[in-house]
Amino acid sequence: MPEPITAPAIELDGVSKAFGANKVLDDVSLTVRHGSIMVMLGPSGTGKSVLLRCLVGLLRPDAGRVLVYGEDVAALDESRPRDRARLFALRRRFGMLFQDGALFDDMDVGDNVAFPMRMHTDLSEAQIRAKVADKLRRVGLSGVERKAPSELSGGMRKRVAFARAIALEPDIVLCDEPSSGLDPVMSATLDELILELHRTLGMTFIVISHDTAEAKKIADTIGLLASGKLVTYGPAADVFAEGQPALRQFFERSTEGPIRVL
Amino acid sequence: MSFVWFVRHALVAQFSRLPPAEQFLRHAVDAGVGSVALLTLLIFFAGMSLAVQGYGAFVRMGGQEFLGLFCGIGGVRELFPVMAAIVCGARIGANLAASLANMQISEQIEALSVMGIDPMRYLVAPRLWAVVFTMPLLCAYADVVGLSASYFAAVVQLGVDQGTFSAQLREIIRWQDLAVGVGKGVAFGWLVAIIACYHGYRAAKQEGAAGVGVATNRAIVHSTVVCIVLNMILSAILYA
Ligand SMILES: Nc1ncnc2c1ncn2[C@@H]1O[C@H](COP(=O)(O)OP(=O)(O)O)[C@@H](O)[C@H]1O
Ligand SMILES: [Mg+2]
Repeated sequence: MPEPITAPAIELDGVSKAFGANKVLDDVSLTVRHGSIMVMLGPSGTGKSVLLRCLVGLLRPDAGRVLVYGEDVAALDESRPRDRARLFALRRRFGMLFQDGALFDDMDVGDNVAFPMRMHTDLSEAQIRAKVADKLRRVGLSGVERKAPSELSGGMRKRVAFARAIALEPDIVLCDEPSSGLDPVMSATLDELILELHRTLGMTFIVISHDTAEAKKIADTIGLLASGKLVTYGPAADVFAEGQPALRQFFERSTEGPIRVL
Repeated sequence: MSFVWFVRHALVAQFSRLPPAEQFLRHAVDAGVGSVALLTLLIFFAGMSLAVQGYGAFVRMGGQEFLGLFCGIGGVRELFPVMAAIVCGARIGANLAASLANMQISEQIEALSVMGIDPMRYLVAPRLWAVVFTMPLLCAYADVVGLSASYFAAVVQLGVDQGTFSAQLREIIRWQDLAVGVGKGVAFGWLVAIIACYHGYRAAKQEGAAGVGVATNRAIVHSTVVCIVLNMILSAILYA
């Protein structure tokens, strides 16, 4: 029996990030429990992707701490060799689904999914191939191994990217808008898959979404980011009961409310 | 990200471990074999022009027997290697910059680093090694093609005495000159590759596809200028 992990998977403490005069994240603090599913909602352009990048050290916040299992990613500077090694080691706890998939376009689908295993494990080619087939089957794409990413539709690319993100069965999976670009049925299938991986392997998920139905279905914890501020954050049940105005606006797809776009 | 930062990290990545053979080979073939046709065509005409121009100038003062000397110095020491570096450099540099810039704007480079793989090691180092290895071969090849073309124009077309032409070539071209040509190729290759990788790597996602064009353009312009200036400096040091 492995020792139960009690440390939070992720802890953000006063994280702020600006690009020039554009303040993208403003004093964001939150905690993600190990083995939970956190869904972050928010209108586009409010810094959701920037937030994910801060978690894996692709961007460094201007202020605040980003703790991953207790270790501060924000304190690591990728341009310093020692920090770099530490950062790369920490990142192996993550799988990340990028907003546009970020598949390697000089490799076919099978090699894309196999890539993390080839780089980080000693599995034999046969074992890798079996795992690739399994992951692709789970995302509903059996038999596309030899296709080039450019031959796939946007939604298929995203599912391949998801298969790649979970290839090493990482502790934490970051999904940047997994459901956008997918049809409702496929999107529901992906939600089921997230729930299944969460249940069977205990993976922690941080999912960015526009889709309130998805949030209702999978989230333990819900956050709402608007104009760089964390407007609401808490257990899904509480957040829904609370009826926070910005969240209500989001759920009701209304132009009236605290979120202004015009 | 400054150029100095990039160069420092690229050097560490390049020399800390040899690149995966498969990656290296792919880029070397891409850079080398892909350049041969264009290089052959251009250098062949350049070599003929050199002979024709030289002949035209020398024949007026009755010195056409110096044509071998002229083609040896002008071609092997200067024109052929630097032309190879510029022509192949533009082609190779454009490819490298465009491919890395495309990877950058489509988040592939970030995806690599999130997987815990150092893009400097995985992407930049094999490309540097490949071009450093290929460029001297291309320069040497350019010498052979260029000289053959000069010889062809001089001896076959203009009727210069074959014995004199060859004797003068042997007289003026020493092994050191060929070694210098190859050495220059190594330097040109590394510079072309590092400049192209830098511009490609620096493309920002916010720029979109336009960023690929900008990176490619910068790679070609900067590497061409650097090669020509470096060639002049080396000539001044080695032959002045
Ligand atoms: N690397 C960057 N450089 C400059 N601005 C950026 C960068 N990344 C994101 N931004 C800006 O930050 C804001 C939030 O972007 P993002 O996090 O991608 O939004 P979203 O919530 O839709 O994912 C946008 O205004 C975007 O232009
Ligand atoms: Mg986004």
